[in-house]
Amino acid sequence: MLHPNLLTPPSVIPPPVALQLSQKAPPILSSSPTSSLPWPLSLLFSTESPETWTIHENLFLASLRTGDDVSARKVLDRMTTRFGEHSERIIALRGIYEEALAKNDKELEQVFQGYEKILREDPTNFSIRKRRVAVLKSLGRIPDAITALTVLLENSPIDAEAWAELSELYARQNAWGQAIYCLEEVLLIMPNAWTAHAQLATLYYLSASAQSSNQLQPLTLSLRHFCRSVELNEYYLRGFYGLKVVSRKLLPLLSESSTSSKRNNSEDDDTPPPKLESVKKLEELATSKLAEIIRQYNSRTQGWTGFSEAEVTAARELLDADGKIER
Amino acid sequence: MNEERELAISPIVQTSVQHNTQVVSNIRNLTASLFGVAAGTLGLESYPGFIFYLVGTLIVSLLVFAVRAEGKPSEYFHRPLGDLWGGEVFSGLSSFVLTWTLFYGLVRA
Amino acid sequence: MAQPVVQTIHRDPALFWWILLPITVVMILTGILRHYAMTLLQSAPKKQSLPQIRQQRSLVRGFNLRQNANVLTPTSFQARKAYMVSSYQEGKFLADPESRGKPRPNPMSDPAAMEGMMGMMKGNMAMMIPQTLIMGWINAFFSGFVIMKLPFPLTPQFKSMLQSGVGTRDLDVRWVSSLSWYFLTLFGLQPVYNFILGSNNAANQMAQQMGQVNPGAGLMGPEQDPDKLFLSEAENLEVLQHQWILEGVEDRLLAKLAV
Repeated sequence: MLHPNLLTPPSVIPPPVALQLSQKAPPILSSSPTSSLPWPLSLLFSTESPETWTIHENLFLASLRTGDDVSARKVLDRMTTRFGEHSERIIALRGIYEEALAKNDKELEQVFQGYEKILREDPTNFSIRKRRVAVLKSLGRIPDAITALTVLLENSPIDAEAWAELSELYARQNAWGQAIYCLEEVLLIMPNAWTAHAQLATLYYLSASAQSSNQLQPLTLSLRHFCRSVELNEYYLRGFYGLKVVSRKLLPLLSESSTSSKRNNSEDDDTPPPKLESVKKLEELATSKLAEIIRQYNSRTQGWTGFSEAEVTAARELLDADGKIER
Repeated sequence: MNEERELAISPIVQTSVQHNTQVVSNIRNLTASLFGVAAGTLGLESYPGFIFYLVGTLIVSLLVFAVRAEGKPSEYFHRPLGDLWGGEVFSGLSSFVLTWTLFYGLVRA
Repeated sequence: MAQPVVQTIHRDPALFWWILLPITVVMILTGILRHYAMTLLQSAPKKQSLPQIRQQRSLVRGFNLRQNANVLTPTSFQARKAYMVSSYQEGKFLADPESRGKPRPNPMSDPAAMEGMMGMMKGNMAMMIPQTLIMGWINAFFSGFVIMKLPFPLTPQFKSMLQSGVGTRDLDVRWVSSLSWYFLTLFGLQPVYNFILGSNNAANQMAQQMGQVNPGAGLMGPEQDPDKLFLSEAENLEVLQHQWILEGVEDRLLAKLAV
C-alpha cells in the first residue's frame, strides 16, 4: 500500500491511516512555515508554498479525527495568523474545530447559533452553509438538514458534494425517488464518476426491494448503472459486487416475465429489460472478476493490494454463500 | 457523431493528457537546447544545422515512443500521430536556435 | 559572378562577458519578475451577491445538463429538460427579474465590466513595459557594433533591424548586433521559464496571448444580458438530441471484458 501523505490523502481515510497522518504533527509543528527574518530577507528564504497550507489543513482534520485537539488548535492558529480571521475557509475550519470539541447536543446547538450569525452577515458563505447542514445532521434533525440543503442547492445547483449529501439524507428517509433524482444531478456534473454510477445503482436496487410489485424496471436500471461503473473502471470491486447481486435477483424475474407475458415490453419502451442470456453472462463475469480480485488480493500480487480489506471480505462471503446454494 | 459517442463511453481524463503533454514538451525543450549546444560546437551552418535538429528530434521521438510510451503510443496519447510525432517538432526550434547561435558564436568566434 | 568573400571580424572575447551574459541574465530575471508581478496583480474575485451566484450557477447547471445529458434515462431527461426550459423562459433564475427586457447599461459605465477590462490591461502592461524598457536599454548601451555571427543565412530585409546602429552597407546579414540576441532570448527562453517557475507560469508569452483570445469567464461575461443567455440556453436544450449512454451497456461490457 502507498504511504499515506498529507498532501494528497486518500479520499476515504480509514482510522489507522488517520492515526498515521496525525502522528506527523510534531515535526510539522516544530518548523515554522513563515520565515522569521525581516521583510526583504523573508521573501528570499521562505519555504512557504501552496502545498504547505494543504498539508496544514489535512493535518488539522486528521488531528481532530484522532482526538489530538492540542495539535489541531496549533495548526488552526497558525493558519489564522497567515490568512486572517475572515477568510471563508478559516471560518469553516474554526467551525469544524468547535463542532469536534462540542461534548453534547447543547454545545452543538451553540455552534449552530454561531453559524446562523455568520450567515446573517454573509449569506454567500457556502462552506458555513454546509457546516450548518452537518451540525443539523449530527443533532439528528434530518428533515431540517434536508431543508437547509435544498436552500443551498437552490442557490448553487452545481455543487456535486451537496447533491450527494442530499441524496444520502433522502435515502435515510427512504425517499428513494428524491435520492435518485439528486444522484442524477451529481452525474450531470461528473458524468464519468464510477462511484456515483454505483451509488445510483445501489439506490435503484434498494428502491426495488422497498416495493413489492414491478421490480423489473428499477432492477434493470440498477444493472445498467453497475455495468457502466465497471465499464469506466474495470477494477471496481463494488461495481462487480453489485452486478452480481442485482443479476442474481433479476434472473428469476426475467425468466418469469419472458414466459408469462410479452406485453410488458411495449409498455416500458423507455427501459426495455435486458436479455436473459446477457444477464446470465454478466453474472458469470462478475463472479469470475470477484474471484480474481480476491485471489490476487490474498496472494498480495503487486498492484492488486489497493482494495479495502472489508470489501474483499464481503465479496468472499458473497461468493461463499453463492457456492453453498449451488452445491 | 460516432467518435463523440466513443469518447463518451470511454472518456479521456484531461489531467492525464495535460501531464503527458507536459512531460513530452519538457523532454523536447531540453533536448532541443542540447542539440543547439552540439550543433554550435560542431560548427554547423545553415541547412546542415536545421537538418541536424530535425534528425535529432526524430531520434527523440523514437526514444519517447520506445522508452516512455513503451511502444504503445495510443495508450498515452489521444492522437499519437499529432501529439507524439508531429505537433511538437517546432516548439523546440526557438530554444535550439538560441543555444546554437550562442555556442556557434563562442566557439567559432 | 565572383564568389563572395567570407567576411571575418575579430571580436574581443570580453563581448561575451559584458554583453551576451548581461542581456541573458536580465531577460531571465524580467521573466521571473513578470511572473510574480502578474501573480500580485491578480485581483481577488469580487464577492457576488446571493442572487447573482444563483443566476450564474443555474446557467452552468443548464450547460451541464446539455453537456452530460447522456447519462440520464430518457424519461428523467425529458422531465429535467421541460423544467429547465420553462424556468429559463420565465426568467426564474434572474438576479433582478425587474430589469428583464430593459437594455443593458453601457459597458463603459458598468463597474463590473470595467474590472474585466482593467484585468486585461494589466496583463498587457506587464508584457509591454518590460519589453520596451529592455529594448531601450539595449539600444542605448549596446548599439553600434556587431557582437556575433548567426550560424544561418538571412535575407537582406533583416539587415536594418538586426544590424541597427551599424552603418556598413556591405556587411553580411549574418553579423548581427546585440538587439538580435535580445530577440533570440525573447523567443528562446520559454523552456527556461518553464523549468524555473513551473509549467503554468505567467511569464509564458504563449499563454498570455492565448488568454487574450479566449476570455476566461466565457460563459458569463459581465456585459452580456443574462436573460438572453438563459433564453439561448433554453433553445439549445430544446433542440438537444438525447442519446442514452446506458443503452446496450450490458452487451458492450460483455464484449469488452469477455475472457
